[in-house]
Amino acid sequence: MKKIFLTMICLALGSIAIAQNATLPQNITVKALDGTSVQTSAIQNDGKPIILSFWATWCKPCNRELNTIKEVYEEWQEETGVKLVAISIDDARSASRVKPHVDGNGWEYEVYIDQNQDFKRAMNVVNVPHTFVINGKGEIVWQHTSFVEGSEEELLEVVKKAAAQTE
Amino acid sequence: MKNHTKQFLLLALAVLTTPILSAQGILGGHVTGNVQIDGQISSADSVIGAQDVPEKLLMNARADILYTNGDFSAGLRFEAYHNPMLGFKSQYKGEGIANYFVRYQGDIISITAGNFYEQFGSGMILRAYEDRYLGLDNSLRGLNVTLRPFNGITIKALAGKQRYFWNYSNSIVRGIDGEVNLNSLISSMAESKLRATLGAGFVSKYEENQSIYADPSHIFNLPLNVGSGAVRMDLAYGNWGLQTEYARKGQDPSVMNDFIYRNGEALMINATYSQKGFSANIQAKRVDNMCFKSERTESGEMLYINYIPAITKQHTYAFLSMYPYATQTTGEMGLQGDIMYKIKKDTPLGGKYGTDIHLNASVITAIDTTQVPGPGIGYQSDWFKTGELYYADASLEIAKKLNKDLKLTCTYGYQIFNPVVEGHPGDLHHNHIVVADLTWKVDKKNVLRFEAEWMGSDSRFNYDVNDKRCGDWIMGLVEYNFTSAWFVSVSDQYAYRDGIGNYYNVSIGYTHGATRLQMGYGKQREGLLCIGGVCRMVPASNGLTFSLTSSF
Repeated sequence: MKKIFLTMICLALGSIAIAQNATLPQNITVKALDGTSVQTSAIQNDGKPIILSFWATWCKPCNRELNTIKEVYEEWQEETGVKLVAISIDDARSASRVKPHVDGNGWEYEVYIDQNQDFKRAMNVVNVPHTFVINGKGEIVWQHTSFVEGSEEELLEVVKKAAAQTE
Repeated sequence: MKNHTKQFLLLALAVLTTPILSAQGILGGHVTGNVQIDGQISSADSVIGAQDVPEKLLMNARADILYTNGDFSAGLRFEAYHNPMLGFKSQYKGEGIANYFVRYQGDIISITAGNFYEQFGSGMILRAYEDRYLGLDNSLRGLNVTLRPFNGITIKALAGKQRYFWNYSNSIVRGIDGEVNLNSLISSMAESKLRATLGAGFVSKYEENQSIYADPSHIFNLPLNVGSGAVRMDLAYGNWGLQTEYARKGQDPSVMNDFIYRNGEALMINATYSQKGFSANIQAKRVDNMCFKSERTESGEMLYINYIPAITKQHTYAFLSMYPYATQTTGEMGLQGDIMYKIKKDTPLGGKYGTDIHLNASVITAIDTTQVPGPGIGYQSDWFKTGELYYADASLEIAKKLNKDLKLTCTYGYQIFNPVVEGHPGDLHHNHIVVADLTWKVDKKNVLRFEAEWMGSDSRFNYDVNDKRCGDWIMGLVEYNFTSAWFVSVSDQYAYRDGIGNYYNVSIGYTHGATRLQMGYGKQREGLLCIGGVCRMVPASNGLTFSLTSSF
């Protein structure tokens, strides 16, 4: 058993080195807010960066993050062409509240529901909020868990860099 | 798990994967994963009821490793519990590969062999899922196939055995589910304002016969196959939405329903109206004898095949969530309403930044039952009649940005809680709760958060019932954040009248990218930890806790 564990550690360490190349998984099914099934390959932004944010209706920091970005979203879009895609991990208890929650908060993000958490597992998301920045080539260039007011500035810097990379 | 051949095979798999890794440039593919290590050092405290831990240090650890190459992926999870932390079942003791799978995900077909998680509809007949914080893993080990023959049609079929700690249940779970999205299937409906998805599923469990005595001279004639089916509909028209699902289950005598031969059924209806800045939502459900487990003698929270969600709001503030509601799968009726409204900016009530109002109320009762004596259907139930009150709550939350740097959220909540839902009868608890939460963005890098909570209750602590939540409480919390990298928080909950306990806590955390390290010192209340209406008892603890999570 120890040998397996050691091998796994080696695997884990080896993977850190190549994690930079990781891209978005393509064929995972999530649901749009109108109930339509959508493959994750449809998460695109014409070669411009994407902010992929895993959240839940009951998660306070997630709501703070998405509400804070809402205030500056238009500016960010103009400046970098970025698109925010919000992936709700709400389960059967609260999944039906995602659409009212999004509308009630006035969010204009692209929102999908990952009720069986296949996308969450594929992206190795442990806790929410967990935010990724994906560049125009579909590569994950940055990720972060947790949010406090003010850290959106750091996110914007990363998005700007990602936008510059692809231009 | 202790099988040497299996160990060898897994080691071989791990060794074989390594060259793939080193040849990454040629073969492609990515290895990603995540690690979590939680630990706890707890010492005795007679007031809060914390027990001494003979091992001194308790630790849970897990690592998920995922290899992806185009449409193929494979993964395994290592888990170790040395020994399981307080509140986790002792059957978890030990370590090993708890989960492994290989998967092909094409456009038309997806196949998973090994452990998988799956859900049919809202999960009322099948939901294999895991929640690491609850110590729950209902994954199925077997084969799962998803077909998408045409745009708009999804068919799922699966068969497997359910995980039970380090073993698997002795029953087999099989299921099939179909879903049609009319807008994708019928081209003339593609742009229709009406969005419609219909679905139906069936799940069957096979469990070998066993001798269970009804009384010393009679044994139960147990059904070996138990079936459960559901139909569902998801409609949206403009701002309106309607989701509904109805499920039925055949006779399934088990320890959970006292071996009655009664069909189960559950109905869930959800209606919503939403537009930008306003939404309303009403939910109703009725559940009767719908506990569906893969073993008839399993009484705990493990081995659930289905999932009946709680429809009460999932509160996050400490006192609002002190009395969480756990779904009564044997029978309950409930109604929940939720309204969100944003008062526009630059109006008298909205002020410069607008104001958010969130109102929520729910009431849950038992179903009406009239006992039918002797072994058999157990009881009769009038569909529209309610039984005793289990739980009711109402809360109003007002959030307002006061100026560029200050944000205040005030919440008032009222709850009525029947302790019978936690299995011990007693008087209803009536609680009033007030929460004020202020965030102050000092500058771009420094953020302070203050939280004050009060709870007034008619419950009184006594040593016979020993419910340590009783009485009147106050709480204060101060949290300091330096960017999103560092945080320090200090909090205290104190029973100032008719209660017992003083729970102080100091926490510090560091986040770098997707790695987070958190340490805390203090006292933790015993109670129910609930996620999604599924709950687990957590004993009191007193001492140090730490947690490391990392994704890569």
